Amino acid sequence: MRDPATPHGTIGQPSDYLHARYTLRSWFFTTDHKRIGLLYLASITAFFVLGAIAAGLIRLCLVVPNGQIFTNDTYNKLFTMHGVIMVWFFLIPSIPSTFGNFLLPLMIGAKDVAFPRLNLLSWYVFMTGALFTMITLILGGVDTGWTFYAPFSTTYSNTYVIPALLGVIVVGFSSILTGLNFVVTVHKMRCPGMTWFRMPIFIWTLYATSLIFLLGTPVITLALILLVMERAFHIGVFDPRLGGDPVLFEHLFWFYSHPAVYIMVLPGMGVITELVAAFAQKRVFGYKFVAYASIGLASITFLVWGHHMFVNGQSQLASTVFSFLSFAVAVPSAVKVYNWTATIHKGNIRLDTPMLYAMGYIGLFVLGGLTGLFLATLAVDAHLHDTYFVVAHFHYIMVGGTMLAFLGGLHYWWPKFTGRMYPEAFGRVGAFLIFIGFNVTFFPQFILGYLGMPRRYHVYPPEFQLLNILSSAGSTILAVGYFFPMIYLIWSLWFGKRAPANPWQARGLEWTTSSPPPPHNFAVTPRVDFEPYDYAIKAREVG
Amino acid sequence: MIAEPVGIELVGHFATVSQQREAAKLGLWAWLVTELLLFAGLFLCALIIRIQHPAAVTLAATHLKFWIGAANTAVLICSSFTMSGAIALSRIGWRAGMLRFMLATAGLGTLFLGLKGFEYYQDYVEHMVPFLAGPYVLARDQATRLFVDVYFITTALHGVHLITGVSILLVLTWQASRPHFLARHQNRIEVYGLYWHFIDLIWIIVFPVLYVLNR
Repeated sequence: MRDPATPHGTIGQPSDYLHARYTLRSWFFTTDHKRIGLLYLASITAFFVLGAIAAGLIRLCLVVPNGQIFTNDTYNKLFTMHGVIMVWFFLIPSIPSTFGNFLLPLMIGAKDVAFPRLNLLSWYVFMTGALFTMITLILGGVDTGWTFYAPFSTTYSNTYVIPALLGVIVVGFSSILTGLNFVVTVHKMRCPGMTWFRMPIFIWTLYATSLIFLLGTPVITLALILLVMERAFHIGVFDPRLGGDPVLFEHLFWFYSHPAVYIMVLPGMGVITELVAAFAQKRVFGYKFVAYASIGLASITFLVWGHHMFVNGQSQLASTVFSFLSFAVAVPSAVKVYNWTATIHKGNIRLDTPMLYAMGYIGLFVLGGLTGLFLATLAVDAHLHDTYFVVAHFHYIMVGGTMLAFLGGLHYWWPKFTGRMYPEAFGRVGAFLIFIGFNVTFFPQFILGYLGMPRRYHVYPPEFQLLNILSSAGSTILAVGYFFPMIYLIWSLWFGKRAPANPWQARGLEWTTSSPPPPHNFAVTPRVDFEPYDYAIKAREVG
Repeated sequence: MIAEPVGIELVGHFATVSQQREAAKLGLWAWLVTELLLFAGLFLCALIIRIQHPAAVTLAATHLKFWIGAANTAVLICSSFTMSGAIALSRIGWRAGMLRFMLATAGLGTLFLGLKGFEYYQDYVEHMVPFLAGPYVLARDQATRLFVDVYFITTALHGVHLITGVSILLVLTWQASRPHFLARHQNRIEVYGLYWHFIDLIWIIVFPVLYVLNR
């Protein structure tokens, strides 16, 4: 049942969701999951640009060791806005809210998500949170760091903490609504024959991510509400002057914010699995293991938050247990990496742009993951905590991981989103620029951190200047690399080659409908009678 | 009694009525899980403050109005009973009875809010509101403030849920009073019932955690 019955060119009927209607109203009041996905894509791209500008200014400031480019107050505001925007307004919604919204119903053969109006509401809630963040920026920013640690955020900071907190609280509800929608959609909206173990791995990772949205987000919502209460009304729970415990806030904060790392990473892993299978033309090695590893990661990630607090007054016993559990996270992560490499092995490999991003992802993710093990080791963490080593580590996961997966997925599904092909040669150049720029930016930071340069300071000893200049130089290459796809992808909207329904000879359900899909996704409801990733070359099945 | 037809109107993107009904129910359960975790953070704070400052918490807890809290527990349990009645009657299509039970539920919810407001007033009169200007009766032990603050935040957050709940219930009652409602949207009563029972359940955890455990 995989013959694509594409309803093209019927007179008087709109052929695809982009051309069904043209009014602004039809975009801003749409309940079509595909259009909502694109609304998210536009919004998070705008926030990415803002966050990237802040990052560029940080790197500019660190070119000189004496911090003469910006005052320390400005520097604190810059890294805080970079963190807040990148974490909550780009990375967390990035893959779930754009690709997830667009592809989840397509990949399971549904007409839409379970609650389309709720889906639209979640975008408006997101934009409301964004509004608060913009207000914070316009008023003059916030300097607490994206972690908002008490009592600095509740008592001592003189910046606009409350609007920033409200922005994060509100955007959390957008995550919750998206997660709720996805969980119900996966459970209830699968088309006939689409059993759990016929779902693409991307859907498994979205499901795992949605569980984290549901189970983690309310806790940080509460923790941040408590901060607002304490700062605005002196209803203090963490106030040490009353005998309160600021470390309690850190526990509540990281109970969400560590799983949030997997909100950012898991969907990226799903995207990479799709890319690797499609560009090796081979069945995913150990499909079931990869699926279970996604759920495993989502579960273990709730048990490791204490590794952010090894030196923050946590007991030795607690730290030991958290250290052990953090090592356990490496197991499902490694399962995924080994399965990707085994999938590529002896595949019919094409090195198109999405595959270049996928290969870059695997390498950088391994480096980011292994340095995570250094940090999970108690004695080593005492040396490396709050240094640039940590900064480099999580940028290898967040940028080398999530960002590359996002860009790889964007190129892979661009024909499906827009009906146009991107220019392949430019795509490959962009992928190389980003890979090189990223490594030049962040690898020196591992060394800086190991040598003892602390994070979040705008002055540093002159002997660190060379490595800092190298890092800042890399960030300019990275900036060009990001700018590049923005230009040619927008160019391709008008001048790109028309995309066929399945330009990559991929096997997912989303490729059986036309590019771009019709408003209700499929001409006839699909009926699945085939296994996932049934490419010609079969990997030895171990799952 | 005139039984009306009971059912659910199929929305476009669902394939069957039962799929639509189950999706709504699962969606609300998922929402309730997030609500539970929201309050769980507060329960955790209350318990940790109790471990760190046992004497102060006991002192502060004896100043809570135990009998108002207990009465409110009874009120909410009754309201859950009336809500169940409304659901049961909606299933057999007795609209008039269902509407009365829904109004009774909203009335009990309002009674709860009234009692809660009276309790806050009593707290105010007894100088138990440390974050307002003016004297604080337990000022000799500053750690009591932590528990009193948790008490106000928890009960206020629960109160916000109850205000939302009563408002939605009144709108739903108005919708349900129009003809053909049960034939098209009986599901809404069921799903709303889950939410109401859940607010009730949260209070049933709040009451022992704040009022009873620490006495």
